[in-house]
Amino acid sequence: MTVVPQNGGNLAQGGGGGSGNLYDVLELILDRGLVIDVFVRVSLVGIEILKIDARIVVASVDTYLRFAEACNRLDLESGRKAPTQLTDIVGDSVESGAKGKSKGALTGAVDAVADTVKGITDRDSARDEDEEDEGEEEEEAVERRRPARHAPRRARSSHPRHEKE
Amino acid sequence: MAVYIYSITSKDHPLRMDGLTGVGDPPAEVRTVTSGPLAAVVSDSPENLRPKRRDIAAHQAVQQRLMADGAVLPMRFGYTAPDDEAVRLALDKRAGAYTDRLMALEGCAEYHLKASQLEDALLRQILEESDAARQLNDDIRRGTAPPGANLQLGELVAQEVQARQEALATGVVEALRPFAREVRSSAPTGSDFVNTSFLVTHDDQEELFLTTELSLANQMGEDFEFRLNGPLPPYSFV
Repeated sequence: MTVVPQNGGNLAQGGGGGSGNLYDVLELILDRGLVIDVFVRVSLVGIEILKIDARIVVASVDTYLRFAEACNRLDLESGRKAPTQLTDIVGDSVESGAKGKSKGALTGAVDAVADTVKGITDRDSARDEDEEDEGEEEEEAVERRRPARHAPRRARSSHPRHEKE
Repeated sequence: MAVYIYSITSKDHPLRMDGLTGVGDPPAEVRTVTSGPLAAVVSDSPENLRPKRRDIAAHQAVQQRLMADGAVLPMRFGYTAPDDEAVRLALDKRAGAYTDRLMALEGCAEYHLKASQLEDALLRQILEESDAARQLNDDIRRGTAPPGANLQLGELVAQEVQARQEALATGVVEALRPFAREVRSSAPTGSDFVNTSFLVTHDDQEELFLTTELSLANQMGEDFEFRLNGPLPPYSFV
């Protein structure tokens, strides 16, 4: 388990240097925020690639084969115990803190979840498209790789290809 | 000269901008354009601004500074107007809506949560709990599986992954929802299963939100990674 400190402020302090946070909040800065329709947006060539990871197709042959291969090479003997059941955790948290405010909370959940599960895991094919699209414009505008301070975990999860070899 | 717009605030906002630098290289000076009850925080926009990381950081730094002193409507990165007058017109045109939104966001900040689970842990769990998947996997490993078993296993596992991540995401978001005024989720990227913003009030709600998030992350264990960023300008709630 890793908990990232709540330090949204360090972007301000770090100027351009504190990219640790910038990566995770980049989509907010680029895709959320107020838009005034009569204004013109500067070209984001080289930044658009950020969205590519979202174009993930779960139901594809590539995904299936990748999952199958990953299962085949899993070492089940050394498996750790199953993780905590989330339902228990949620029950506890809601009970202890909500006090009535949680009523109706589930209404939006279905939509939210529907949104969240569209893109899950087919990183290999995403990466292929990635390489076609990013070209040479990427430059320093975007740091695809996760910050070094998270190296052990990030290295595994964001570069599945290397992991296989 | 074109102007780059960072954010909209009330004209009563202290608008402390000393030491702030804007987009461009060399960085432009940050200033305000006011009209009626509103102020826009802007800077001159360089010709052919081609955004780099430092420009995005400058945009973000302006928001962080302003939100320390009051409500702010952060603009999406990269918008320019032809001149100050165009900015004034835009403020006037939707003054009511901007003012209402600023009031609604007073005392609030956005927290953005992403969470992922180690894929091996998830797959191991699926193989432990799904007899069909385990059987297929064993057969494939022993070389006794019929042709096409790999695809069949992959499809089964993909469905399980999706269902489990969906359930996990719902669980995490619902555990935090009671402490947020508004919640906005979007499609997670990469290996994440949660990609959600919460609008949280700076009072006891914020403390409960943070405590609950920490406790969730702790309880879910080492196969999970929670990345919480905040307090942030309310990009997702303007």
